[in-house]
Amino acid sequence: MQEVKRKYVIPGDIVAEGNLRPLVNVFKNGNSIVATRIGITESNNDGAKVIPLSGIYFPRANDIVVGKILDHSSLSWSVDINSCFAAHLPAQDIFGRDFSPAHDDMGRQLSTGDVIVARIAIFDRTRDPILTIQDKDLGKIPTGELIKISPTRVPRLIGKRGSMIQTIEQASSTRITIGQNGIIVVSGKDKEGITLAINAIHIVEVEAHTSNLTQRIRQLLNVPESEIESDDTQTSEAGDTTINQDELNSNNDKEMGMINSNGTK
Amino acid sequence: MSLSKKSTVIVENLRKKQMRESISAGKRLDGRSLDEIRPIEIELDVIKKANGSAWVKLGNTEVVAGVKVETGEPFEGLENSGAMIITAEVLPIASPHVEPGPPDEETIELARVVDRGVRESEMLDLSKLVLVPGKIVYTIFVDCSVINVDGNLLDATSYAVVSALASCKMPVFEIKDDKVIETGKTQEPPITTLPISVTTVRIGDYLISDPTTEEEACMDARLTITTNSKGSIVAMQKGLKGYFSIEDVKSIADKALIKGEEIRGKIKGLINIG
Amino acid sequence: MVQSRSLIDESGKRTDGRVIDELREVKIKVGIVKNADGSALIEFGKNKIIAAVYGPREVHPKHMALSDRCVVRCRYHMSPFSTDTRKSPAPSRRETEISKVIRESLEPALILEDYPRAAIDVFIEVLQADGGSRCAGISAASVALADAGINMRDMVSACAAGKVDDKIVIDINDTEDKEGGADMPVAYMPNLKKITLLQLDGELNPNEFNTSLDEAVRGCLKVYEIQRSSLMEKYFGDEKEMKE
Repeated sequence: MQEVKRKYVIPGDIVAEGNLRPLVNVFKNGNSIVATRIGITESNNDGAKVIPLSGIYFPRANDIVVGKILDHSSLSWSVDINSCFAAHLPAQDIFGRDFSPAHDDMGRQLSTGDVIVARIAIFDRTRDPILTIQDKDLGKIPTGELIKISPTRVPRLIGKRGSMIQTIEQASSTRITIGQNGIIVVSGKDKEGITLAINAIHIVEVEAHTSNLTQRIRQLLNVPESEIESDDTQTSEAGDTTINQDELNSNNDKEMGMINSNGTK
Repeated sequence: MSLSKKSTVIVENLRKKQMRESISAGKRLDGRSLDEIRPIEIELDVIKKANGSAWVKLGNTEVVAGVKVETGEPFEGLENSGAMIITAEVLPIASPHVEPGPPDEETIELARVVDRGVRESEMLDLSKLVLVPGKIVYTIFVDCSVINVDGNLLDATSYAVVSALASCKMPVFEIKDDKVIETGKTQEPPITTLPISVTTVRIGDYLISDPTTEEEACMDARLTITTNSKGSIVAMQKGLKGYFSIEDVKSIADKALIKGEEIRGKIKGLINIG
Repeated sequence: MVQSRSLIDESGKRTDGRVIDELREVKIKVGIVKNADGSALIEFGKNKIIAAVYGPREVHPKHMALSDRCVVRCRYHMSPFSTDTRKSPAPSRRETEISKVIRESLEPALILEDYPRAAIDVFIEVLQADGGSRCAGISAASVALADAGINMRDMVSACAAGKVDDKIVIDINDTEDKEGGADMPVAYMPNLKKITLLQLDGELNPNEFNTSLDEAVRGCLKVYEIQRSSLMEKYFGDEKEMKE
């Protein structure tokens, strides 16, 4: 893939000129592709886009998120997924089709304050996100340390095919559950390992846009060079989804869903 | 009318568990010991148009207080006393849970508790701020704007008020031909003491001082105690729907005197007064 | 308004020592309110203003939500100690009007259709005011919106121009606002080259108006440079270009 030089941009800046396709976080204004966010541009033959460096989490169907139970009605739990919409987990997702509030006690399954890892089953412009915890390795997270990072840094934290996060997990002997919404739970037996993992995560968050980050993280974790070769064969830990880097970037940016090619009013 | 409210901040059970374990081992989640106060930063004279001002940071809680000195009528029944009015507003910028609008009962309580500490300690000798007894006195406004909320607004606001008042340059007014004129000169405020408040909360069986937002979301009861430089208690306020035992209250009061003196020394140093 | 005294002296100095085409000093610091999604503190001359953005976030009450775009709420508010005479904390009619024109100056830059059923809250708090606070507030709000990662077509930069001693001057201060001949605040999207705020207080003939408008836009472009460098500094530090 031929890459045009990457640039730092703020909203209104020109990302590229010419007949390129506007991808995400950009709009077309005459012959120019213009940035709509603060971030780093990426343009090539497929089109031009901006990888954003700030912004809250905007839900997307099929995302894995870590959420907090707020309350429940008679038919579903309302879940805080650190976004602009509250999400809902239908009682039927746990109890099955013949759920009835009369004989099924929702409070015993999940109560206010419980932390869950879930997948967004349904989300569109007309309603709040609907969650499911029926897939493998989803459900309540009973222990661990909870931290929050900017959702825009999550792809960098996961890394190419999960390489960055696996490096951190292995070096610190921890299990790390990452939500696309920027909520992360780190669990492990050893308090020092957990602290090491959390430090590494914070460094990735702050330096996500810089180069040679992987090397610096390896140094921090004391990982010898030879252990990092097997990117392609590693499978991800439970709770993460295996995504490749390109997918990661475009997933991250597609959150707006609407690329208005006619950006001017 | 006062109404019980649904909590706005729900702390994850994971965090509550961590908090309980940590506190029973004597440390809080941010590493502080149970009675440790967060670092205090004070910047004075941040609002040049005000006669005195202070921007206080108590950890991540930030409050700006501004003093404006004017003249006006004395309060009824206080003919020989300057008038002092303290207000507070939690600005909507300060937290995702603040709705813009007139002050709610918590904000009004905040302003009144801070006011009580300053007034009852007689921090300002208001008898020295009279121009014409019964008719014209100095009116001291201290208005507080909360910029960022991370727990313990009571103490942060109180430190801001005290710092702004103690460091202000008061205009000198005079009566000439039955009119009030501003002479253009300034004077030191008549300060007698620095009242310092210390807020302690109960989480389960433990007493914690200077809580963060997260700790406040887990607290059962809260007690604010304001002391003066002579070692007396001048104001107290218990808050929230929980309770304290008699031993708790006495122990909190003792701590408030000791911690209060420490913080008084720190604030004196930060605002550079004797 | 007809002036009662001269506000520019014989050597061409204004009440604060500036010349007629000189802007006051502008400083912007990004990310100053930790709880907010985006924020900025602006010092524009003696103006000291914080803008904070929360959003997109849930709309309360729910029935106020719009199905195809987000709702924008904007509040311009002055702290009681911000003015020469202490101001009552209750919102005034002036603050209500300014909240409206500020919202209308920022909305054209926001891609509201990207956030259906949500709200974007923009809060502008004036800690100290000295003429031109609405322009300074708009400029800070634009930085706060970018800091919050809201999709924007362009930044919004604002500056006022006006008439003092029958001369067109840039960036009116408080005294010039109160006693001068005309005050015209302008907000401008610098890349799209569109005006999103325009008000006038005073009297200008057509020539004076054209010159004022040009001067105000020139001021907006100067403010834009500072908005850009403040955002670059927070996000990219000293790095001007990406190294691969």
